[in-house]
Amino acid sequence: PAIPEGVPTDTKNKDGVLVDEFGLPQIPAS
Amino acid sequence: MLGVNFNFLSLLSDMRSSRARLLELFTDVSCNPEMMKNAADSYFSLLQGFISSLDGSSQESKLRYIQNFKWTDTLQGQVPSAQQDAVFELISMGFNVALWYTKYASRLAGKENITEDEAKEVHRSLKTAAGIFKHLKESHIPKLITPAEKGRDLEARLLEAYVVQCQAEAQEVTIARAIELKHAPGLIAALAYETANFYQKADPLVPLSLPLPLCFSGSAYCYHGQTLLASDKCGEAIRSLQEAEKFYAKAEVLCKEYGETKGPGPTVRPSGHLFFRKLGSLVTNTLEKCQRENGFIYFQKIPTEAPQLELKANYGLVEPVPFEFPPTSAQWTPETLAAFDLTKRPKDDSTKPKAEDAVKPVREPDIKPQKDTGCSVA
Repeated sequence: PAIPEGVPTDTKNKDGVLVDEFGLPQIPAS
Repeated sequence: MLGVNFNFLSLLSDMRSSRARLLELFTDVSCNPEMMKNAADSYFSLLQGFISSLDGSSQESKLRYIQNFKWTDTLQGQVPSAQQDAVFELISMGFNVALWYTKYASRLAGKENITEDEAKEVHRSLKTAAGIFKHLKESHIPKLITPAEKGRDLEARLLEAYVVQCQAEAQEVTIARAIELKHAPGLIAALAYETANFYQKADPLVPLSLPLPLCFSGSAYCYHGQTLLASDKCGEAIRSLQEAEKFYAKAEVLCKEYGETKGPGPTVRPSGHLFFRKLGSLVTNTLEKCQRENGFIYFQKIPTEAPQLELKANYGLVEPVPFEFPPTSAQWTPETLAAFDLTKRPKDDSTKPKAEDAVKPVREPDIKPQKDTGCSVA
């Protein structure tokens, strides 16, 4: 599998899920 | 002696110029958060010498009550509130810094083709403003000897309304982003539900909050309906969307009334905003889709009772950014403090505001949005 191209620095981890600056999960689970 | 005088005069001059600079930036369209923070820190660190003692103890400065400060209030015309208290000045100036962050966010949100970085700045500015309002309310308002009268800007319940209003508006930005990035309807519904609750808390102290709880409750029912449909509960989904339709209709009536209300602020017509219009068509389209699918596939009964929304948002809830005033400037020394002669303060400095004290209104930059981007901050 391809290696992800770096994670943005402004992410945080919430309950094991990476979230962006808005506090939303990095990957939308629609 | 010459050195003391020089430091004392330099301190007074810096205080005057840093205060003037800060007041100037409030109406300067080219001001950004970095400029605002530097100017605010510079003035507040000097003002601290009038409030706290230099030895770092909890004792107050002997200069706290030396000067009378006058500030007008948002809804009280041009006759100012006045208090001979440096804490009143600190809170009033802090309040205006927080207001600047909300206005900056509003101006940025109304820009044409707003970028992701700008959306982040809108979000950040609203959280910063919320943090300042919160800090003023919790740590400084209780220190005022004369509490603010009802309807004045520094009334504690009004500051609380500003905190939740800023949080709710920042969450609006988050909701817009969640919709754009096609996050799960359950996440959007929960965030809209919590935002509606925030606006409910701010209401009726903040003018535009009136139609907003209904608008976000409608949005919550709409996205909740989508979640129900995705789990094959089509009958319940229809009922949820019917409820969304009801909230939307009520919000539409209130928006119309609000648009016709005359007040000190600019005329706002929330019903014409892109977000509001988009929500209307989303509710109608989703309801029609559910009704079609129920007629063809599910054949489920539609409950008489609307689903009880008790949604908990796990993501996107906004917390105010913690705020603290800067420490006292190093320009304050025991020598500069001793140079103040308290016996020579103005004698006729009544704190009671008079009609002839009315101040000329300050012209503010127009924050009319250039384009309706769907991201509107009140």
